[in-house]
Amino acid sequence: MEAEVRPEAAAGEAPRELATPVAGRAGRARALWKNLLLFLAVMGPGIITANVDNDAGGIATYSVAGAQFGNALLWTLIPITVALVVVQEMSARMGAVTGKGLADLIRESFGVKIIFWVMVALIIADLGNTISEFSGIAASMEIFSVPKWLSVPLGAAAVWLLVLRGSYRSVEKVFLVACVFYVAYPISCVLAKPEWGETLRATVVPSFQGGGAYLATLIGVVGTTIAPWMQFYLQSAVVEKGVKVEQYRHSRLDVIIGCIITDVVAFFIIVACAATIFKVGLRVETAKDAAIALRPLAGRYASVLFAFGLLNASIFSAAILPLATSYYVCEGFGWESGIDKKYGEAKQFYWLYSGIIVIGAGVVLIPKLPLITIMLVSQIANGVLLPFILVFMLLLINKKKLMGDFRNGPVFNWIAWTTTGVMIVLTLWLVGDGVRDLLRPG
Amino acid sequence: MSSLAERTDRPDFLFFSGLLGRSVVGADGTELGRLTDLVAVTGEPYPPVESLVFQAGHARLVVPWTAVESFAGAAVHLRAGAAAEQLSENPAEGRLRLAEEILDRQIVDVEGAKVVRVNDLHLLEVKGALRLAHVDVSFRGLVRRMGWEHAVDILVRSVRPSAAYLRCSVLLPWKLVQPLGATPGKVRIDIAQRQLAELHPADLAEMMEDLDRYQRATLFKRLDVETAADTLEEASAEVTSDLLGAVAPERAAAILEEMAPDEAADVLAGLPAAHRHALLQKMEKPEARQVQALLSYDPRSAGGLMTPDVVRLGPEATAADALAEIRRRADELGLVYELFVVAGGGKLEGICTLKDIVAAGSAVAVGRLMHETPATVRPDAGVREVAELAAKYNLVSVPVVDEAGTLRGMVTVDDILPEVLHGG
Repeated sequence: MEAEVRPEAAAGEAPRELATPVAGRAGRARALWKNLLLFLAVMGPGIITANVDNDAGGIATYSVAGAQFGNALLWTLIPITVALVVVQEMSARMGAVTGKGLADLIRESFGVKIIFWVMVALIIADLGNTISEFSGIAASMEIFSVPKWLSVPLGAAAVWLLVLRGSYRSVEKVFLVACVFYVAYPISCVLAKPEWGETLRATVVPSFQGGGAYLATLIGVVGTTIAPWMQFYLQSAVVEKGVKVEQYRHSRLDVIIGCIITDVVAFFIIVACAATIFKVGLRVETAKDAAIALRPLAGRYASVLFAFGLLNASIFSAAILPLATSYYVCEGFGWESGIDKKYGEAKQFYWLYSGIIVIGAGVVLIPKLPLITIMLVSQIANGVLLPFILVFMLLLINKKKLMGDFRNGPVFNWIAWTTTGVMIVLTLWLVGDGVRDLLRPG
Repeated sequence: MSSLAERTDRPDFLFFSGLLGRSVVGADGTELGRLTDLVAVTGEPYPPVESLVFQAGHARLVVPWTAVESFAGAAVHLRAGAAAEQLSENPAEGRLRLAEEILDRQIVDVEGAKVVRVNDLHLLEVKGALRLAHVDVSFRGLVRRMGWEHAVDILVRSVRPSAAYLRCSVLLPWKLVQPLGATPGKVRIDIAQRQLAELHPADLAEMMEDLDRYQRATLFKRLDVETAADTLEEASAEVTSDLLGAVAPERAAAILEEMAPDEAADVLAGLPAAHRHALLQKMEKPEARQVQALLSYDPRSAGGLMTPDVVRLGPEATAADALAEIRRRADELGLVYELFVVAGGGKLEGICTLKDIVAAGSAVAVGRLMHETPATVRPDAGVREVAELAAKYNLVSVPVVDEAGTLRGMVTVDDILPEVLHGG
């Protein structure tokens, strides 16, 4: 295969660019400027993927973690960031080097039966996630006294139109702007007036607590941060963006920055809830509860910002998840896909995309539907899928035929396998918990 | 006759998915392994299967297909004395591994002019010998690979007996598809070139977008210079640099020369400076100069959009001269409708249309047919302005003139349309 030769040839070119002699301050400034431009050209996939990670479900998990355990779980954010970077970096690298999506690679290397079941699990998991995004829209708008029968259909229509009427590039720009609105959380957190010294100490010094609830929340925080759909989405987005091997250095920066932003936002959510709700000993179960509880404790603005952040994150993720799912399902099954295609050319794609949105929004509107059960099923599907995806990724990225000189080095491989191992153990735990909750009578 | 063949409509065909995973049994009845692949010889319209590959423990072994005694039932039986060899890492020249290189991969459907994914392969059996006949890209092929064809068939038949799903109509003849991963033999390349040249360049360009970077390069390398140039003109800016980078600089330069200068300039403008200069160096001098002049304009201005290839006529030239000129330069001219009448210094005097010329007697001088130019633009005019003038005066091409009134080129509607549609 020609793919085997190409990456190596390109790898030989990359250092030449690095070695360009730059003399003096002007030269350095120019080099910096050039690097910045190169970065801006490939920026997007990593930052967007990581931010969608802080979706309605993520915000709920972090809020509950902060409200229930104060700063006790803050220390997990640093190892989580490392794990996230390790996994996401591999996805982006595979995208840049092979020019193919993950679904594509899995099908070509592991066959049609495997990709079929992966896609089935992925659709279930993502459908559940989409439902949780729409319930996030409903919950945050209820804080602003907008009833859900208005906010959810409007949100669904907005999302549907945004993506179908736009091109990939314009949609990406909207998504990048949505990333900026996450600043609502740091501001909200500052308004909550936490004790910074104690907070920072809790971030770097690990602390353990006994008890099933602590462990369950810890696993929940990890589980919500690394989800299988992200690897598929990131890799496809890198491919769609046309990132080449020579540009990969900058793409990696995009990934790392994205992962750090994600966990910084998570940090502020946990701290905001820890400094207020945890301190007075209130109990909250959802992100909406947390936003409402913040009102008397940290002021009206903090509460409004918190709710606004939830709304932004929910809409943002509700736009990306159905799109991403339709993309890689079509990729895996060999159907035409892409928002640049007409309906007649990519029927399956449009049906899937619209179907996920309609079901996702519809389920939230059905009264008395057991939302918690649906969430649990989706969480289990996510959890069952993740170990497979991580192992597939590691096998693929170590294939010489595919990756040439861009395979994992021995040290990175060790880190990646260890991360994968830890993730697998934690996720299986989460799945076990989920199954137990699902089977529990009543 | 295999048991599987009886399930299909035509008794002589069988599906590759039915062979995959069958146990391979030696002459003495011992199981040697499971069939994992078939190797076919490319070059013929329906490539014959030369050997089969089976997995025995950790080893992948290959035996010639002629060593197969029968493949009825659930096993492939080998003759006595069949010699198995270790399978080499990479396929030999002109050989195609069906499972490794075709199954589950993307290929180009030349007839339908699109990129499709292979779900199954249809093999033709003649007296025990196998040939690759069709490629199955249908959903049913996918279901068959999952092993559910029988059940799903019954289900569909009971719901809708006339369903399109049940007809085997999505089998593409092998001779009308193009595999993209493998390096085909010489013969195959020639067939490929001829086939691909028949496709519309716009279709080819769209396919390029559906392929990954390496497949794109493979396909582009198979195009002859002329088709490559036409495809490049139609392709989006995102893929053109990939495509030009895929071929040797000499060939890239030849392709650029073949393109209309304004299109070539657009493609070159999207390349890194070093690559652009290298290609301009390799191009023939006159073409390179033309392109370089265009490169100095903003790509969204009249200067950037215009082509310098216009029909220039002196006022005393006759209608017959005009037609002869068009005939002589037919290769390099793009859209021809307005012909430009210029004075000695190249100053634009007026225009006449192709219709005027064709309708007039062949001896009539162009100077008498010409009328005043309804509108001209400067090279720095925006695309909006050009579009508005073209719409207002019903022009197919708007002449571009400099301060002195000298004709520089023309912007044709086909270049304005995409800008207006996408750029707003």
